[in-house]
Amino acid sequence: MERLLATLNVFARVALIFGLTMLLPIGISWWLDDGALGHFDEALLGTLAGSAAMIWATRRFRRELRAKDGILLVVLCWVLLPAIAAVPLYLGIAEARPALVYFEAVSGLTATGATALSGLDQLPPSLNVWRAELHWIGGLGIIVLAVAILPLLGVGGRQLMKAEVPGPVKEARITPRVTETAKGFWIIYVMLTALCAVSYGLGGMGWLDAMIHAFSTVALGGFSSHDASFAFFDSPLLEAITIVFAAISGISYVTHFAAFSGRSLRPYLRDGEVPYYLAVLGASVLLIAAYIWRAGVYPEFATALRHAAFNTVSVATTLGYASTDYSKWPLFAPLWMLFLCSFATCGGSTGGGIKMMRAVILYKQILREITHSIHPQATTFIKLGGAIVPNRIILAVLGFGFLYMASTVLFTLLLAASGADILSAFTATVACFNNTGPGLGLVGPDSNYGILGDFQVLVCSFAMLLGRLEIFTLLVVLTPGFWRK
Amino acid sequence: MSKPLAVLRVFALVLLVFALTMLVPALASWQGEDGALPAFLEGFAVTFGAALLLWLLTWRHREELRVRDGYLLVSMVWLLVPAFAALPLMRHLPQLGFTDAYFETVSGFTTTGATVLEGLDTLPFSINLWRSGLVFLGGMGLIVLAVAILPLLGVGGRQLFSAESPGPLKDTRLTPRMAQTAKGLWLVYLAMALLCTLGYAWAGMDWGDAVMHMFSTLGLGGFSSHDASFAHFNSPAVEAVAIVFMTLAGMNFATHYMALRRRNLAYYWIDPEIRWYVGVLYISVLGLAAYLWWSGAYPDFPTALRFAAFNTVSIATTTGFASTDYAQWPFFAPLWMLFLCSFVTCAGSTGGGIKMMRALIVFRQVMREVVRTMHPNAMRTVRLADAPLPNRIVFAVLAFIFAYMALIVSFTLLMVFSGLDIVTGFSAIVACINNTGPGLGEVGPATTFKSLDGFQTWLCTLAMLLGRLEIFTLLVVLSPAFWRK
Repeated sequence: MERLLATLNVFARVALIFGLTMLLPIGISWWLDDGALGHFDEALLGTLAGSAAMIWATRRFRRELRAKDGILLVVLCWVLLPAIAAVPLYLGIAEARPALVYFEAVSGLTATGATALSGLDQLPPSLNVWRAELHWIGGLGIIVLAVAILPLLGVGGRQLMKAEVPGPVKEARITPRVTETAKGFWIIYVMLTALCAVSYGLGGMGWLDAMIHAFSTVALGGFSSHDASFAFFDSPLLEAITIVFAAISGISYVTHFAAFSGRSLRPYLRDGEVPYYLAVLGASVLLIAAYIWRAGVYPEFATALRHAAFNTVSVATTLGYASTDYSKWPLFAPLWMLFLCSFATCGGSTGGGIKMMRAVILYKQILREITHSIHPQATTFIKLGGAIVPNRIILAVLGFGFLYMASTVLFTLLLAASGADILSAFTATVACFNNTGPGLGLVGPDSNYGILGDFQVLVCSFAMLLGRLEIFTLLVVLTPGFWRK
Repeated sequence: MSKPLAVLRVFALVLLVFALTMLVPALASWQGEDGALPAFLEGFAVTFGAALLLWLLTWRHREELRVRDGYLLVSMVWLLVPAFAALPLMRHLPQLGFTDAYFETVSGFTTTGATVLEGLDTLPFSINLWRSGLVFLGGMGLIVLAVAILPLLGVGGRQLFSAESPGPLKDTRLTPRMAQTAKGLWLVYLAMALLCTLGYAWAGMDWGDAVMHMFSTLGLGGFSSHDASFAHFNSPAVEAVAIVFMTLAGMNFATHYMALRRRNLAYYWIDPEIRWYVGVLYISVLGLAAYLWWSGAYPDFPTALRFAAFNTVSIATTTGFASTDYAQWPFFAPLWMLFLCSFVTCAGSTGGGIKMMRALIVFRQVMREVVRTMHPNAMRTVRLADAPLPNRIVFAVLAFIFAYMALIVSFTLLMVFSGLDIVTGFSAIVACINNTGPGLGEVGPATTFKSLDGFQTWLCTLAMLLGRLEIFTLLVVLSPAFWRK
């Protein structure tokens, strides 16, 4: 109980700052006079008052956070902040159900990009800015989570990914470490966003759209201000810009940081993941282009390549934009894209899924078992980026990989039991769990999650959270052992 | 380096014995004058001739087989015996190509029970007897494989299962151990066969059907002599007998053997798997019965229970009989049944899938990871039946399960690539790799695998073999390192 109160105190501070980020849509709403100003004002005031009250109420429990408190704080942030973020959406959209706006906000903060709203083009611009800003803020959180907090906790073999992070590794207190790590990465993140927004602007988007889509692209989210997503623009240039920035965002920020501070591209080549990531992405684009071209979806290869490149990179990096309704392609193509999104992105990026690093370890472990079968006495090692991976980490990765697959099966069964057909149930699970966005069937790229029932939408929200928090973080908080003294 | 010639010699002996078993349907055909006699005699002549030739070529190589030779021997038996078994089918049904005939016999010999034949009721009795006889023989081979050979090879953590089986553990010579284990287990198997036949006959089958279905039941195969499978009999008594014997055949035969020899039922309680197996199985039966009744598939609970019990036990134990077209049930029910078949049966039974033992280990490993996330320095071991498991076995089990899941994903993608819908593609692969039989969609219980094209049929055949040989056995033989000196 003391832990909960101490963590709540910190959480309230986070919520306070989070509330202040509403000033951006407030400014835009005031400038454009789009009618949503009052909703944001109410939400902001409510958040500020609520957080202040909570800080005051828990002031006596304030203390330095320890590792376990860190787990709790992360979970609280990702579960409760969406509830705050949902308030302006709920007030601003007349027909919105509570479950749907919570889903929308979770989808925003986990950088998923699955939307439950339709008629995006008619929404007040400030609401669309708010949705995309959620992605962007979520992205900031994800980077800290991925490069500072999860490795510290050792979730699913994440220890591996902290090796190069600056700062004292042995430090058990969580706050100084997080602040320190975050700074360097956030600079890169902000620069990427600015670069992306300018590129979109020069590429022909309006400045508001450019900002919204830059937020969404760099966080690998996928919210758009248009129901038709990128098909609205129908511009090869804008698509090319997206492909470049999505591909960059799928790479670990640790690697970006190393390259940036050393002013050298070598870290990308030496990275244990990047070569696999780019190879898998490139090969898949060609494969899918060839497949849909042969199947006759597009008469010429160039068109097939354009659409294959954009949609494959978009889904595989867990971004989730669509430039066409790819669910109409022969089923193999979208299924392969969804398959990619479950593992293609790199460890310290804003992407979702099990991450390329774990996929490589899993693959190498299978080869190792074959060797062990032939030579039962052999001592073998798994190497990654030139270093030996300890057995303990491999066990953690294997456990994570299993839990990931088991959760996919379980969520699919849950959605099927509540009445969805298998294609929709399975792809909704995969798309949410990997924080990608659009699935197939009922929840395909030209549809949205608003079609699902409240229960199903909540299941999907839970899947997004579980995926984003790498399962264990959430699971640990749910075990009785966590709350014992 | 393995000794291929010495292995070939043993294989020749196995084939010789196998050829003799073809005389049984030949006898039945002669007795019933059903017109299939030449097919069996020809098949016998070719198989016997080939076996004799092989033996004459290799009889000099009387070297003692080592454990590692087991991989080659096992792979050869399961790959080549069905090829010879297909001869009578191809001779009698000329329209059946080798692809389909080989699929059918692999399906029999791996105790899968997926069929490409339609009009089973009009086939000669001897052909049906041969099909189900293959299941019975496959089951006999399987028990030895599961209890004696795989543990010795240590495939996917199988070392563990050797604990309870009789015979010296440290012995690295293959043949004496196999022979010794086989004797006791086959005695149990044959005793159960006798009881099952009597049971079916008592419940109202004619003797021919009783023997045929007993073959199929004990091997947990699922071939029937009727297109309608058990719906043909429409008898609760017959279904009850089937349920009892399917449940028994899904338990570890080593446990049956011990219980029988010591005349002590406590062995069933000591067995770490059986209580989970029975628990999961029958709770699922009740759950599905309630679900079917509640969703209105059956007007009253007893009817729902009857159909849920038979079909759930049949699919979950990887048998594959059907007493109704359960593909018409609300989708969750058949999906849950297929989910069960992937892990519910015990190691050392004739069932397929990853086995309850591995499921328990992986579950405990996940719990260990959860604890480790909270207490990074805690030392904890995974325990099974009160004994700590070495990490090496945990590794092997996890790698096995991961390979199993990766196989399902990649084979499903290949099925979809070749043009199938997802329900058919996915369920066909799950049903084949778990050696269950009927899937859903185009390959559902009311239809057959006939509608698949050549590529898809071969893929399913490969899936059955990989599933039956626990993936690694086949992978090892295919790896270059196995053949290196």
